[in-house]
Amino acid sequence: MIILALDALDIHCVQKFHCKNLMQKEYGQTSLKGFNQERTIVLWASFLTGKNMEKEIPIKTQWTFQLQPEQTFLKFFQKYKAIDLPSFSYKQQNHEEERKLLKGYFEDKVTVEEYESLIWKNHEENKKDFFKELGKTPLLIGYFNLADAIGHLSFGLTEKMAIVYNELDKIAEEVKNSEDFILIVSDHGMKAVGRYGDHSRNGFYSLNRALGLNLPEITSFYNIIRGIAENEYF
Amino acid sequence: MNTYLQELEKRSIAIIREVKAQFKNPAVLWSTGKDSTATVWLCKKAFFGKIPFPVIHIDTSYKFPEIYQFRDKIAKEWDFNLIIAKNEKALKNGMSPKKGRLECCTQLKTEALKNLIKEQKFDALILAIRRDEHGIRAKERYYSPRDENFRWNYKDQPAELWDLYVKPSEDFSHMRVHPILHWTELDVWEYVKQENLPVNPLYFAKNGKRYRSLGCMPCTVPIPSTASTIDEIIHEIKTSKTPERAGRAQDKEKAYMMQKLRSLGYM
Repeated sequence: MIILALDALDIHCVQKFHCKNLMQKEYGQTSLKGFNQERTIVLWASFLTGKNMEKEIPIKTQWTFQLQPEQTFLKFFQKYKAIDLPSFSYKQQNHEEERKLLKGYFEDKVTVEEYESLIWKNHEENKKDFFKELGKTPLLIGYFNLADAIGHLSFGLTEKMAIVYNELDKIAEEVKNSEDFILIVSDHGMKAVGRYGDHSRNGFYSLNRALGLNLPEITSFYNIIRGIAENEYF
Repeated sequence: MNTYLQELEKRSIAIIREVKAQFKNPAVLWSTGKDSTATVWLCKKAFFGKIPFPVIHIDTSYKFPEIYQFRDKIAKEWDFNLIIAKNEKALKNGMSPKKGRLECCTQLKTEALKNLIKEQKFDALILAIRRDEHGIRAKERYYSPRDENFRWNYKDQPAELWDLYVKPSEDFSHMRVHPILHWTELDVWEYVKQENLPVNPLYFAKNGKRYRSLGCMPCTVPIPSTASTIDEIIHEIKTSKTPERAGRAQDKEKAYMMQKLRSLGYM
């Protein structure tokens, strides 16, 4: 099983940029009903545990919050690999640097180009780590924050976002024939604020088989993934 | 009297009177710019010449000398209760635009106002914002509830159906009220002309430049213009394709994003 955890992937952009590999057999929006804020760590922790983790993760310490495998659906798999997954295998240092440059941009100390250059560098590192593991474990999760990190400063710039979505679509293309079950999921979507991008209240999901989900929540995937692990769908 | 302007004025005055009727301790914010001066004038007209609540001016101490001169002159002539809010503590600690424009604005404007609201227990603030100024402001309602941190939940606002402006029963620290929300920049200038309102001289062109929107000195730049009378300004706005706030260094979208990212814990 492969899970592409794509931060801030937005259904409107997936469709607008004709990302045919991201749009698998079944795809749609997820609902953030029950969540007060669209916090990345909270949403991915909720994805992993199948329950709303908003109250358990204080905002001040969220970036270092870490779940144990037995608290997550990973316990249903004998072997797994999760690349850079927030609240589990998050690359603290990389993301801390990203946030530092983001802050620097708002303080007029860092340019968009400098910030984006780090984002792309970290993205390439994740891509390398991800493809190195492809086909080696029953469950491989790759987290890519390109749409979120670039989107925050440039979501209103269509040409730039087209490059981002094209890149994510290519990753989906490269994995599409390699596994029985592929889930592509985002924590939240994005909406434009002028040139900038703000989190929206709907995430994205895409499955390579039809399960007939209707506006699932990010916590809904826990049982589906457990079902896959326990061969319910085979 | 222009009937279109009369309609705008009638609606604004009705809102201002509602504020006085519904809230215990309202006040009006006045930057001395054209919009807020027109709003203070509407408050005067709403209560037949005497504004029954304070007029607040937030003094960052970085404003143009013309702003202070204009403020003191009009406050005297129009005879209202002027309260000047200043974050002395931040100024003593050396806060200035050099420390970051957004930080400076937060400290010298937002914090100054927060402190004053707390001190004077204001429950409603009348502001001269207009929907046409900015995309973010287009989401505003006439009654806009704020929490103690000035946070605004645009997805949870009073419905305002049939022009009924009703104070929500709870869950807000103070109400922002926007009586000229439905006006445009052009409407304001035409109203200034009709009512013969005083105008800050910074709005008129000098040496090929004029200020179209007034802020603090280090963060406001003039636009190229030859409009040196109100009629010429009206003509310029009618033919211009430049946004009104083009001369303001503080980027509202950027400020919004920064605040949003902060609230999500990014910074």
